[in-house]
Amino acid sequence: MLLEEIMQRPVWTIAPAARLDEAYRLMRRHNVRHLPVVEGERLVGIVTDRDVRALTRPGSGVFGGGTPVHRAMTPDPITAGPRDPVEEAARLMRRRKVGCLPVLDGGRLAGIVTVTDLLDALAHLTGLEKPGSRLVVRVDDAPGRLAHLTSLVADQGINLLSVLTYTEPATAYVRIILRLAALDPHPAAALLRREGFDVVWPPAP
Amino acid sequence: MDCPLVYHPAYQAYDFGPRHPFSPVRLERVWTLLEALGAAPEPVAPPAATPAEVRWVHDDALVAQVEAASDGAPRPDAPRYGLATPDVPAFEGMDAAARLLVGGTLHAARLVASGAAVRVLQLGGGLHHAQQALASGFCVYNDLAVAIHHLRREGLRVAYLDVDVHHGDGVQWLFYEDPDVLTISLHESGRYLFPGTGGVFEMGEDAGTGYALNVPLEPFTQDASYLDVFERVVPHALAWFRPDVLVVQCGADAHAADPLAHLLLTTHGYEALFRRILALADVHTGGRLVLTLGGGYDLDATTRIWTMLALLARGLDLPERLPETWLHRWTDRQGGPPTPTLHDPEAERSVANRAAIEDQNRRVSTRLLELAAPYWH
Repeated sequence: MLLEEIMQRPVWTIAPAARLDEAYRLMRRHNVRHLPVVEGERLVGIVTDRDVRALTRPGSGVFGGGTPVHRAMTPDPITAGPRDPVEEAARLMRRRKVGCLPVLDGGRLAGIVTVTDLLDALAHLTGLEKPGSRLVVRVDDAPGRLAHLTSLVADQGINLLSVLTYTEPATAYVRIILRLAALDPHPAAALLRREGFDVVWPPAP
Repeated sequence: MDCPLVYHPAYQAYDFGPRHPFSPVRLERVWTLLEALGAAPEPVAPPAATPAEVRWVHDDALVAQVEAASDGAPRPDAPRYGLATPDVPAFEGMDAAARLLVGGTLHAARLVASGAAVRVLQLGGGLHHAQQALASGFCVYNDLAVAIHHLRREGLRVAYLDVDVHHGDGVQWLFYEDPDVLTISLHESGRYLFPGTGGVFEMGEDAGTGYALNVPLEPFTQDASYLDVFERVVPHALAWFRPDVLVVQCGADAHAADPLAHLLLTTHGYEALFRRILALADVHTGGRLVLTLGGGYDLDATTRIWTMLALLARGLDLPERLPETWLHRWTDRQGGPPTPTLHDPEAERSVANRAAIEDQNRRVSTRLLELAAPYWH
C-alpha cells in the first residue's frame, strides 16, 4: 500500500507571512491539525495546532495571534514521496517523532499523511471494512506453512479478505490471522484441525 | 394482546440448499409446533415486495444481479455483490423468494403504521446483513431496512433493536446518517465474530451521529451478564430517543447450542429478554412493535426460542412440555428426539472466567454510555 493511495488531498496550506490566528482558524474550519507552509509552490515549513497553542498562550509573553506563521513553524520538514510504502512512512514518523508527512511529487505538494491516515490504512490492511470472520492459527516458523493453510481455505471456496502474520514475542511461533469472506469460520477451522493445525480461534465445538 | 402473525408457506423457498445453515426447515418446525400447541392463528399472507420497494434501500445494480442469478445464471461479477458465494449461493427463484420475505416485514410495518395492528410478528425475515449494494451473511435483501424506510415515510421515528448474535451491520449502515432511526445492536464482539464490525465507536455519522449504538459482548457471555448490559443501555436509549415504533430482529443464535457463535444464552435468558422487549414497547411506543426472526442455526434450540417468541407476543401461556405428536413427527425427521420441553432441560454451563467476562461487558456498556451521553442531553 502506497502513500498516494491513502494521502489526504487537497491539502490546506498557509503562507509564511500569514498570521497565526489565521492558521488556527483554518485548522478549525477544516478540522485538521497540520498545515504545510507554502511560499509560491515551495514547501518551507509545517505549522501544527500545538505550535499555535504553545505560542499564543496568554502569559507565554513572546508571541500573539498576530505573529507571522514563519516564526512558529518547523522549517524544512521531513517529507515523503507518493510511492513510498505506508509501513516506511510509519517508521519514519515514529523515528523522527512527527505527526505528519507532507507528500512531495517532483517538488510539488501532492498530499499529506497523518497518524490518523496510517490508522485508517491499518484498519484497511486488516480487511475490516468488508464483512468477514476471523480465523487465528499458530504455526512453527517454517517454509510452506502459510501456503498449506491458505490452500486448504481456498479448497473450501472461501475468499480471503486479509492475511496478517506476526511472530509471538518470546516464542518461535508465528500467528497467522486470516479474515475470511464467510459468516461461519467453523467448517474451515475443523478442516485445519484435522490437518494438524493449531487453531486458536474459533474454538472447537 | 392481539398479535397478527405474518407468514407464508412460500417463505420456505428462501433456501440455499441442504448443506447451508440458513435452513427453511426452521420455519416449518416453528409453524408445525405452533399448530400442535393450538397457538397458530390464521396467518396473514403478505404480498411479495415489488422490485421498486426493494430499491428503496438497494442499488439497481444489486437488484439486477439478484435477478440475473435467479435464472440460475449468475453474472461473472456476481461475487462483487456478495452473490454466488459460499454464504449467499445463487439459486433458482432467489429474487422472488427474497422479495417475499421483504414483503412480509414490509407488510408487518404497514399494519402497524396504518393502525390496523399494534404488535405484529413476522415469522421470517430479519436479513440484517444485506447492504446497499452487497448481499452478505446469508442475506440477499434487507427486509428490515425496507420496512423501516416505509415507517419513516409514514413520519414515524423508528428504534431498531437487534439481538441476533451477529452485528446488525446492514441496517446500521443503511441508516447511519439518519437521526430519525436509532439502531441498537447487542452482539458477540466483532473481534471474534462475523461481520467484524459493531464496536462502541461506531455511533453514526453527520446528522446521525449518536443514533447508532453497539454493545459488543465477550464470547461465552451468559444470561445474567447479557440481561444486565441490556438493562444498562436499552431502556435509557429508548427513553432518550422517544421512538414511535420499535422494530426488533429476534435472532436465536445467541443461544449456547448455536454452532456458529459463542454466546451462552439459555431459553430462560431469551424468555426474560422477550418479555422485557414487549414491556419496553408498551412503555416507549404505545406498544407499537414489529418483530422478525433472524439467525439461529441450532434447529432444536431455535425452534423452541421462536415458538416462545410467538407465544409471548400473542400473550399466551408457555407450556412446559411439547406435544407428543409433534415430538414424534420430528423425531423421524431429525434423526433423534427433539428436546421434549420448551425450556432447555439442562442447567447453565459453568464458565471458568465468568467474572472477567461480566466485568468486560460492564465496562463496554459503561464506555458506550459515556460516548453516547453528549448526544443524549
